[in-house]
Amino acid sequence: MARSMRTCLHSGRLALLAILVSGGIVLQILACALYNNWWPMLTVLMYLILPMPLIFFLGSNSPSMMSNDGDTWVSFTKFLTGASIVGSIAIPSILKHAGVIGWGALTMELSSFLVFGVAILWLIQMNSEDEYSSAF
Amino acid sequence: MENLALLWGIIGPGVAGAVFGAGWWFWVDAVVCSSVQVSFLHYLPGIFASLAALMFNAVNKDEIGYDYYSPYGDDSEWRVKLWLFVAYVVSFVCLAGSVGMLVQDALTDKGPSVWTGVAGVLQCVLVLISGLIYWTCHSED
Repeated sequence: MARSMRTCLHSGRLALLAILVSGGIVLQILACALYNNWWPMLTVLMYLILPMPLIFFLGSNSPSMMSNDGDTWVSFTKFLTGASIVGSIAIPSILKHAGVIGWGALTMELSSFLVFGVAILWLIQMNSEDEYSSAF
Repeated sequence: MENLALLWGIIGPGVAGAVFGAGWWFWVDAVVCSSVQVSFLHYLPGIFASLAALMFNAVNKDEIGYDYYSPYGDDSEWRVKLWLFVAYVVSFVCLAGSVGMLVQDALTDKGPSVWTGVAGVLQCVLVLISGLIYWTCHSED
């Protein structure tokens, strides 16, 4: 009973994570399609850049992203990840400041980034929790 | 207190990257929203500020202590301190140059607007702050 309940909860969390990612993608598409203005698609470039330091420099060492025992490569990875996060916020803000997009598209862009951020943090926490709970 | 230092060690490099990105994106915003062409001379303070931040983060923190043993002799830490002094001079000249360009943009009607000068100063300040943040928090393992 406990094992099947745990498996059911795990599948439920995975489904909710998939719903979050889909919601982020829908918000991104809505920000472009509602106003027939596809300039906010530039943010997708920054979404592509965002996981690259984690994949290239850390590999399977991704739990050290949330701890203090990493080396210089982990610090450099954190630096690049912070710069990419600011880029995801800066691109729609600059488009709004230049008058290319309106307030509605800006709000949907920032909401999309927030939803993606929550999903990524939850995925990292879920991965590290799996390693922890599989030890028992 | 040690929990705060531990937390700073964990999230400090990310904060440094965020501040660095914010500095450069402010400059991108100024260039994109400017109604006149911004000449390459206005790009130089930001480029040299990034270079200065890289320069003083290239130094290992252990090498500037007085208990550091060096095979080159007893007085070899002056090379590291000379490098840090050169990095300080570069960052100071960047700040002075960007403030000079802000004053020039504010006083003249033709040329870039005041926001371009303000963004240039913001860029230099934020890039140098990100270098200092990275210096204080990154580990040396």
